Amino acid sequence: MAIWIQISPGSNEPIYTQLTRQISEAIAKGRLSVGDKLPPVRKLAAELVINPNTVAHAYTVLEHAGLVNTKTGSGTFISNPKLRTTHAADINLLTQRMDTFITRALNLGIDAPDLIAMFKHRLEGFVNKSENEKKI
Amino acid sequence: MSETVLETKGLTKYYGSTLAVDHLDLNIPRGSICGFVGRNAAGKTTAIKLMLGLLKPTTGSSTLLGCDSQQLRPAIRRRIGYVTEGHRLFRWMTITALEKFQRSFFPKQWDDRLFADMIEYFQLSKRQKIKHLSNGQRAQVSLALALAPNPELLIMDDPTLGLDAAIRRQFLQGMIELIMRQGRTILFSSHILGDVERVADRIVVIDKGVLRANCSLEQFRAAVKKVILTFKDFVPDEVNIAGLLHCRRTEKQLELILVGTSDDRIAACADTAGAEEYNIVKMNLEDQFIEYTAPKNHRRLFKWEEK
Amino acid sequence: MRFLALLRKELRECLPWLLLAAIILLAIGGFILRDAQLHEWYRPSPSRFPSGSIMKWYDFTIHPPLSPVGPVLLLTSIGLGLALGARQFWVPHFTRTWGFTIHRSLTRSTILCAKFTAAIIAFVISLGTVWLALYWYSSHPALFSMLPVKRVFIEGWLFILLGLVVYLGTALTGLSTARWYTSKIFGLAFAAIVIFPVILQWRLGWAFALIIISALILLSQTINAFSEREF
Repeated sequence: MAIWIQISPGSNEPIYTQLTRQISEAIAKGRLSVGDKLPPVRKLAAELVINPNTVAHAYTVLEHAGLVNTKTGSGTFISNPKLRTTHAADINLLTQRMDTFITRALNLGIDAPDLIAMFKHRLEGFVNKSENEKKI
Repeated sequence: MSETVLETKGLTKYYGSTLAVDHLDLNIPRGSICGFVGRNAAGKTTAIKLMLGLLKPTTGSSTLLGCDSQQLRPAIRRRIGYVTEGHRLFRWMTITALEKFQRSFFPKQWDDRLFADMIEYFQLSKRQKIKHLSNGQRAQVSLALALAPNPELLIMDDPTLGLDAAIRRQFLQGMIELIMRQGRTILFSSHILGDVERVADRIVVIDKGVLRANCSLEQFRAAVKKVILTFKDFVPDEVNIAGLLHCRRTEKQLELILVGTSDDRIAACADTAGAEEYNIVKMNLEDQFIEYTAPKNHRRLFKWEEK
Repeated sequence: MRFLALLRKELRECLPWLLLAAIILLAIGGFILRDAQLHEWYRPSPSRFPSGSIMKWYDFTIHPPLSPVGPVLLLTSIGLGLALGARQFWVPHFTRTWGFTIHRSLTRSTILCAKFTAAIIAFVISLGTVWLALYWYSSHPALFSMLPVKRVFIEGWLFILLGLVVYLGTALTGLSTARWYTSKIFGLAFAAIVIFPVILQWRLGWAFALIIISALILLSQTINAFSEREF
């Protein structure tokens, strides 16, 4: 498995959310590529010492989000981004979050050009990383 | 195989005039890991002993694997593993003697290899007597004895009380290992909510003998919320909102603990109350449990006055 | 299989007490007999005890062989009864191992049966065999000038049975969940009281009858207490 998942019970975030978040991030940062296989539910559950149902649930959530595909008998694989459908609701949620982020930043006194620079910088962390991984 | 492995109906137990368990209505589905949580002396051990037929209920009934708890046949008991509070074993026996003793009660289902593997992993010598083992080592032996017969239903009464983090982790690993076999169910009581959050998919909350919650862990996590309403001038004494459990008032804020209230309702309530802003605070399971089982209208333990 | 495993465990727990009782009886009894043999204790004289009672045999001035050992057997038997009753029914309460014992693929009555069987075996093996051995030793015409009276031998078995009655009384007290100053003490008190009429009784038949009746009473109470008890 190319990524290392760390969960912490006792945090504010439910465990399955921690899993989906870390896997989504890994996909976004290119650490997991199309066709990569996620560890089998039981293996990951045993490694992380969590209930297999939690892992299964996380995989289901990822599947509903279109990030992974499960083939019975074979396993769960990262799906092709080109084949992922984007729902209007997802875009709506995304824009809402962007609005929240922009509101906070502006209230903190960060002006628009700085905000754009900040955003670009953070984005580089994702896009560059994925390019580096692909080179390796 | 039936879907419900454990069912109680109106299970009640009085000790003299003290009510230990109050009309417990529970059912646990097969295949779940159920975390039994509650404050100290909430009635967890009493409930477990009632379910296992070690105590007699004052009223009500309970069935385990379809059999009445007060009439548990030997054939049914063989399918139920029980780890007692404190991991009490026969002190004079060596680990080997204890293994031999236990194995004779499970002639067909005892897993020799698993037991041997676990004892080796724990680095225990089979010749040691139980009385010479530390609490942690005794718990490890207890875990091996509980898993080796491959029980269909495993009931553990506070199995990790007083144990270090590493041994607690071993217990969790053992539970995961067991649940991966088909049709196994685990019920364990615990004070460590981090452990419950790790392995349980179901949570049962008992408070002063009363069942307060019996649902999937996810539902519980999603249902118990803390909302802080901040006011500019006037802070109302209370607000009217469905699902309100507690309400604490400070100089500028109202802290609400809500159960099962949707985010929309919360937003509407904040508006109606005239709050300047509202925050839905994320809580971890331990915080949720503490707030959920706090007595009504309790104040904070220590008051800190701002000057 | 399962019953035997439990029986083995119960016997192993009785073992130290079993051995202790046997050693005490053998040592003291053997010493008394040896002394009697070497110093020729036998000379007749009027007894201090009422002519009818068993106790008259234990007057050292008129004693067929083996009879001085009787009181030792009685005390050892009572001691063994107390020890076994406590080991089987008090210790699990203090070590909190009842849960581990009861939750097993055996009925409660079978579990209780294993405990009783172990106790009976313990009494027979430790006290029974030693008493038999001492009787055999004391009946050697070459060593003793007077033959032992069969009655003394039979009375020994009476004392062993009394020990079992004390065992049952101790068990009942251990199982009772009442407070000490109420019905909890019934078992021990009953057994203690029964001892006196038995040993002061002349007719063996009455003595045995008294023992059997009191044993049955305690047995039924103990069985009931165990089945109903909450652990």
